Amino acid sequence: MTSAQAVDDIVGSEYEHGFTTDIASETFPPGLDEGVVRAISARKGEPEFMTEWRLKAYRHWLTMREPAWAAVYYPKIDFQSISYFSAPKRPEDMPKSLDEIDPILLDTYNKLGIPLEEQKALAGIAVDAVFDSVSVATTFRKSLAEAGVIFCSISEAVHDYPELIQQHLGSVVPHTDNYYAGLNAAVYSDGTFVYVPKGVRCPMELSTYFRINARNTGQFERTLIVAEAGSYVSYLEGCTAPQRDENQLHAAVVELIAMEDAEIKYSTVQNWYPGDAQGKGGIYNFVTKRGDCRGARSKISWTQVETGSAITWKYPSCLLRGDGSVGEFYSVAVTKGRQQADTGTKMIHIGKNTSSTIVSKGISAGEGTQTYRGLVRIGPRAEGARNHTQCDSLLIGDRCSANTFPYIEVKHPSANMEHEATTSKISDDQLFYCRSRGLTEEDAVSMIVNGFCKEVFNELPMEFAVEAQKLLSISLEGAVG
Amino acid sequence: MLAVKGLRANVGGKEILRGLDFSVGPGEVHAIMGPNGSGKSTFAHVLSGREGYEVTAGSATFEGQDLLTLEPEERAQLGLFLAFQYPVELPGVNNTYFLKAALNSILKARGEPELDAVSFLRLIKEKLKILHLDDSLLKRAVNAGFSGGEKKRNEIFQMALLEPKLAILDETDSGLDIDALRVVADGVNALRSPERSMIVVTHYQRLLDYIQPDVVHVLSKGRIIRSGGKELALELEEKGYGWIDAEGQAA
Amino acid sequence: MNGVLPNGFESWLSAAPERPAGVGPDWLDDQRRVAQEQVRAQSVPTSKTEDWRYTSLKGLLEQGFAQVDESITALQPDDLEEILIPGLDSHRVVLVNGRYAPELSVLGDLPKGVRLGGLRALLDADPDALRERLNRIAGDRQPLFLALNTAGLDDGFVALFDRAVMLERPIELIHLSVGMDEPRVAQPRHLIVLGDGAQATLIERYVSLGESLYCTNSVLEISLGRDAVLQHDRIQMESANAFHLTGLYLSQDANSRYRGVNIGLGARWARTELVTRFRGEQAECDLQGLYLAGDRQLMDYHLDVAHSVPRCTSRENFKGILYGKGRAVFDGLVSVARDAQKSDAAMSNRNLMLSESAEVDTKPQLEINADDVKCSHGTTVGRIEPEMLFYLRSRGISAPLARRMLCLGFAGEIIQTLSAEALREHVSEQVGQRLESAPLN
Repeated sequence: MTSAQAVDDIVGSEYEHGFTTDIASETFPPGLDEGVVRAISARKGEPEFMTEWRLKAYRHWLTMREPAWAAVYYPKIDFQSISYFSAPKRPEDMPKSLDEIDPILLDTYNKLGIPLEEQKALAGIAVDAVFDSVSVATTFRKSLAEAGVIFCSISEAVHDYPELIQQHLGSVVPHTDNYYAGLNAAVYSDGTFVYVPKGVRCPMELSTYFRINARNTGQFERTLIVAEAGSYVSYLEGCTAPQRDENQLHAAVVELIAMEDAEIKYSTVQNWYPGDAQGKGGIYNFVTKRGDCRGARSKISWTQVETGSAITWKYPSCLLRGDGSVGEFYSVAVTKGRQQADTGTKMIHIGKNTSSTIVSKGISAGEGTQTYRGLVRIGPRAEGARNHTQCDSLLIGDRCSANTFPYIEVKHPSANMEHEATTSKISDDQLFYCRSRGLTEEDAVSMIVNGFCKEVFNELPMEFAVEAQKLLSISLEGAVG
Repeated sequence: MLAVKGLRANVGGKEILRGLDFSVGPGEVHAIMGPNGSGKSTFAHVLSGREGYEVTAGSATFEGQDLLTLEPEERAQLGLFLAFQYPVELPGVNNTYFLKAALNSILKARGEPELDAVSFLRLIKEKLKILHLDDSLLKRAVNAGFSGGEKKRNEIFQMALLEPKLAILDETDSGLDIDALRVVADGVNALRSPERSMIVVTHYQRLLDYIQPDVVHVLSKGRIIRSGGKELALELEEKGYGWIDAEGQAA
Repeated sequence: MNGVLPNGFESWLSAAPERPAGVGPDWLDDQRRVAQEQVRAQSVPTSKTEDWRYTSLKGLLEQGFAQVDESITALQPDDLEEILIPGLDSHRVVLVNGRYAPELSVLGDLPKGVRLGGLRALLDADPDALRERLNRIAGDRQPLFLALNTAGLDDGFVALFDRAVMLERPIELIHLSVGMDEPRVAQPRHLIVLGDGAQATLIERYVSLGESLYCTNSVLEISLGRDAVLQHDRIQMESANAFHLTGLYLSQDANSRYRGVNIGLGARWARTELVTRFRGEQAECDLQGLYLAGDRQLMDYHLDVAHSVPRCTSRENFKGILYGKGRAVFDGLVSVARDAQKSDAAMSNRNLMLSESAEVDTKPQLEINADDVKCSHGTTVGRIEPEMLFYLRSRGISAPLARRMLCLGFAGEIIQTLSAEALREHVSEQVGQRLESAPLN
């Protein structure tokens, strides 16, 4: 097989998770005004503080402009043509256990290769699965409760822990932060809340699988994780989406708060529908993720594997406020077909002796465009701050693009900042070497790409690392012909 | 020449030297042996004035002067020399320029006339021969891209040039093959004189086959627990450090 | 189109509409007019303008610089003594406040096929020699300071080399600034054209008599024919109160080689833009840079190297030393066009910070649209390694001298790429002097 064919095959690989679940949704008609914001809040039975919080965000959002600086191109979004609420059929009759879950739903998860029951048994993972906009299943709550860990949907948290929500929601990503964060604050549908009390090591990996399903419903998840002093939690987020025709907007907000000596590990495998070969119908993934290392020696680690979406716009960031706090960002992003990704991170060094590590691996194939955009800022009081950044791009085929746009701002002389970036392709020598040892070209490509990403995969929890490698292989599948 | 009394020192808040007593007379060669972590290198660094070592008690005097209050360059100017275990690479800093700056700084501090370029070059070529070093070394940057053996030879070469009164050789044998070790040891032996004392810090006895010490000390947990003639080194080689530790604990 | 400029640069152009007749042909007037319109169409860049994100024009605008008028202080060749570099044997071209000074220049013997001299003189004598060359390389859509320079274009330096001509000795282009009663801006325009296979060395120096306040906004257009080779040493040592802008626009035909060594030591506020366009395959462009940003000094470098054709090589290697309240900005872009396969680019920016209040903002960027390329960039910001300092001190060398030795070692990599030993010594000495008096906090 020629190299060009291999590339075509890789790029031509169909979206494996493309199917639509037939489930009746109760969906608001498209459009957004104060009435819709109030209706969302009323529908969710929220207390007044939350209704007001949403309205304030909505009013501010009206004054904001859509950002235009990212290196991504898409038709203008008509925010009035989006429906801002969608719920499964019987919201008042939420299932109490897995047995009560709609079998069609369970089947959907099975098709995705993430059977809930098996996961429960095998991996010991508590799963809070978001189907459309409302949580439909939550497991393992009891054993978490014994440890004092709160793990629930954010809607429940608004009712059950209003003081925690009032204290923390929007404290890391305020509604004024950016256009999409403002929109999210006004209309957020649901999401996850995790609270780990002082000194508690969360007894299991927490995980939420997202899945966009109903037509034309923007998904506006909101995640808030608070790790009190000396606690530890690892959170896994994963998503795949069914094949569709219209573009779908996904504007999530994730806020992490780590107090003194606390550690939060946040891992993502993102496989939203990327659109067809012409780039039609993919998800627009405009996400604001930020972690606040508030306490001394706290640590926040972001790991992401991004293979899906038509457009990704995402910069998981760390505010390193506490002295000796640590921020990490490990990323693998794959763009193929006409996918566009503008992703990276911000490491804002504020406290003394803070350190950050950035490892970004970008793979572009077909006509995919990929941009690493990162900011490392070492403030005037960040004595002894350290950063190491490694950005590598791998290009497969001659129609793709890879950009690296790092911003480095250093205001303290004791800083130690190193940034390296490389761009390369899989060399003919590497391919030939593998093939002369009996590997097919596709296996060779897959192996080399996996090697290229190893540093990031190593950071994922075991179950996710397997999933990520599988996703990568699926992305590169088809080379066999 | 050197007198150390009750020296205690911390590194990163952890006590490494725990009351060390030690003295060296003119022209003597002392070996300090000990297992990893016993405080050998810490001792060498405290004497030479490296940052990050906090002396909490005790004293160290060199020819009657309090060593511990002096800056590193002042110690060097007095005649103290540390041959580094890991010589530092200085990219872009030319070796000749470096050596001349060092020698003239020392001469100046002693109130002696500085050397001009011609006499300096003559001196340096003479010293190169002792270490079987090529003059291409003079054009290179200090230690940059040097092999392990070259770095160690360069340390002894500097010692030959700067002519210290007391030289501390910190694990000079580490990372050297037998031929390189012989060259380095020959260089050191050529520099032995009744006015020059040496402290040879080493983990292994083999270096002492080449550089014969007058006294051997055994360092364990930050204190000298035994001193003796060179036969002590052989005994250590035979029985291992476990023997000393066991004995130390028994004592 | 007449009237007040909306963006605060009225005084830079005030002389332009009443330009004395006879300075240049009609086609040049047309180009000046187009440039004036381009100036008017632009607003003053702010921190929201991506290219000016880290560099404020406020201080420059506050000075109210006015265009240099015709009168030039009468300098004697003796006055140059203090600025000449001993042992540097060159074809010397001197500009005073942006205007060619034939009485101070010593062109020496030139081989056939080389024309050196003042731009205005050549515009008078043989405008057709410039018609297809001047203001061509810089391009049509001119950013503010280039457009300002073009709008006020009336003198500068020209070097035209016919094909296969080689010049043994370097050309030394001295920009001498002499203080005037009020703050003035000089906008010299330079054109360097090397025909196919021609070879030359150009040493470009910015110096001043006294520490006066002035602004230089110079633009260089350099065109290298096939196989041409140019070594270009640029030493910016403006007065400590000066503002300095350079826009260097380089066009390289196939197999040509350019090496530019950019040394930035002077001026309180300096911005250098280096723009390279490859027109033919297998051309090589090597950009080296060394800057010292001392107390309250700003050193700002912008690189835009476009690999628009296959098989070209570029190197961008910039090093900076900062002390006092010094600030440095490095914004380097290497782009590789679709199908510009086998492009090879390596960009590096390393900074040494010696003081508490220095600041570095660096933005090394890659835009890659072809797959068979070798592109990398690396950036570091740090202080002197304590281990290195200790090593030197343990050999008897005082801390200040040790620090200076390490800085010179750091700078040496760039200094050694200069073309002449006399120049290397001159720059090393200047760097050493500045470091000796450098405030470390």
